[in-house]
Amino acid sequence: MKSKNIAVSFFILSLLVISINSCKDDSITEPSTEFKGLNYPSYFGLPHYNFTSNPLTAKGVQLGRELFYDPILSIDSTISCGSCHSQTHAFADHNGGFSEGVNQAKGNRNAPAIFNLAWNTSFMLDGGINHIEIMPLAPIVNPLEMNETISNVLLKLNRHRDYPTKFYEVFGKKTIDDQMLFYAITQFQGTIISDGSKYDMVQQGKSIYTIEENAGYQLFKTHCSSCHKEPLITDNSFRNNGLDTIFNDLGREKITQLAEDRGKFKVPSLRNVELTYPYMHNGSFFTLESVIDHYTDGIKLSPTLDPRLSSRIKLTGAEKFQLVSFLKTLTDYTLLSNPNLTKPR
Amino acid sequence: MKIKASIILLFLSAIFFSNCKESGPEPISPTKGTLQIQFIHTWAMDSHVFELNKKLFHPTTSDTLTFTKLMYYVSNIQLKNSDGSWWISPESYYLIDVSKPASMILNIIDIPTGTYSEMKYVMGVDSLRNVSGSQTGALSTANVMFWDWNSGYIMLKAEGISQNSATKSFAFHLGGFSGVNYIVTQKSTNFLGKSLNISDSKMPILAILANPARLWHTSPSLSVTNAIQMPGAKAKVMAKDFYDGITFESLQE
Repeated sequence: MKSKNIAVSFFILSLLVISINSCKDDSITEPSTEFKGLNYPSYFGLPHYNFTSNPLTAKGVQLGRELFYDPILSIDSTISCGSCHSQTHAFADHNGGFSEGVNQAKGNRNAPAIFNLAWNTSFMLDGGINHIEIMPLAPIVNPLEMNETISNVLLKLNRHRDYPTKFYEVFGKKTIDDQMLFYAITQFQGTIISDGSKYDMVQQGKSIYTIEENAGYQLFKTHCSSCHKEPLITDNSFRNNGLDTIFNDLGREKITQLAEDRGKFKVPSLRNVELTYPYMHNGSFFTLESVIDHYTDGIKLSPTLDPRLSSRIKLTGAEKFQLVSFLKTLTDYTLLSNPNLTKPR
Repeated sequence: MKIKASIILLFLSAIFFSNCKESGPEPISPTKGTLQIQFIHTWAMDSHVFELNKKLFHPTTSDTLTFTKLMYYVSNIQLKNSDGSWWISPESYYLIDVSKPASMILNIIDIPTGTYSEMKYVMGVDSLRNVSGSQTGALSTANVMFWDWNSGYIMLKAEGISQNSATKSFAFHLGGFSGVNYIVTQKSTNFLGKSLNISDSKMPILAILANPARLWHTSPSLSVTNAIQMPGAKAKVMAKDFYDGITFESLQE
């Protein structure tokens, strides 16, 4: 009876000792549940960006999403990525020709749409940025955009009430550094995938074009798809599509310093083109019809004009209508309304 | 009694088995040592000490100038073993910043004990790291040594003021990691025949001399060119002249 009590208490005590002395892993907290991976149709091919050093996690993507919509990245906390890149317009800037930064500073170009970035081989209209991770560096430090410094952004993030904990849960480090910031934003941007348009449904045999749309698709394949290559609807190359004779904005030449690249800009993906107006690097066209009219009747000559545009593209009025009908099938309504991509409450 | 003894045994074994234990015996690690590399800066040929915020006269261009900033990358340090093989310092990237004395002293740690006859080092950042996205330490974008609009490292940054410049200031941001604009320069030294002995008891100090006046070894006066902001022929000439002028100064055991 007395010895039994002692036995029981010793047993409980030893259990306590075990639980206290159990092997403690001093290393970082385990990342939260793995995603099932990036979801995309097989006809996209493998992404260009390798997620190995920056694996997607639910918390990483969520953190990136918060940062994308947080004006803390700007010098006066007024501008976030989402200020220009609106989900309702496939993350393009529909506010005007030249995108604006803090204090209504007018930039030099129209901000491109954001989707399927993991398949990009370069970033910016002149391809000046070579890696998705350091893409956000440019708008953050550009005086005409967010006008901040990385050091100051990190200072703000590290003394924020919630961010240190959130970053720790993803990366296991107590101090937020720029790599963690860029990794998180990359994770969010990586999940902005546009693959749910009618075009995709037709590709997957789940839908069929109307007669008009199909006629437009055939015209597209004849006149447009050599540059706006399927299925990403871009070949990621740089071309002069006849906007000017003399270029104030040198485009690709600014990066390569080669005269043969003057006036060349990146071929944008035409996915969601119905919503990513205004069009061209300087946002000079606001309707699809005006863009098509440019290609049929508005091409301006210059030494670096793309050879594919040296002879006039001829389209009847009916054909132009059909082409626009097809272009509208590239709109991905699931992207526009995906709650995982919306500004968090 | 019998019961009590077994309870005590149970209790003791609980403590015993609950301690974290590594499986297997402790491996015997070879001894390692540290090499300290110090970057010393001189100005022009007359062995003046180079300093920031000090008026300097350039004997070739006849410019009078004051540096407010001088920063540059050194990387990829390797040491040649007595058997001819090379020990490669892992993640070897350093940002020399003349405004930060600590940055001019590089402690190369965990070098296996032995005798080394040669050191290779790179001025600049190798190509691969220029296309590898976001990195940490010396390569972090927080150092403001990475072009945001034209991806690639600013491998050398020299800024300052001068009455000879049309803008009264100068800013040379030198980089270029591919093709004809490539400025990254491999350098080596054999310590002028001395042996570098690494042990766990002594730390040798290796001094490397850099001469910022070499930036204008070929390049023209500030009245002609007071800024370079992207890779190209001008950046290449200036960087090469500076890198080529970097020399072994001394090795102290």
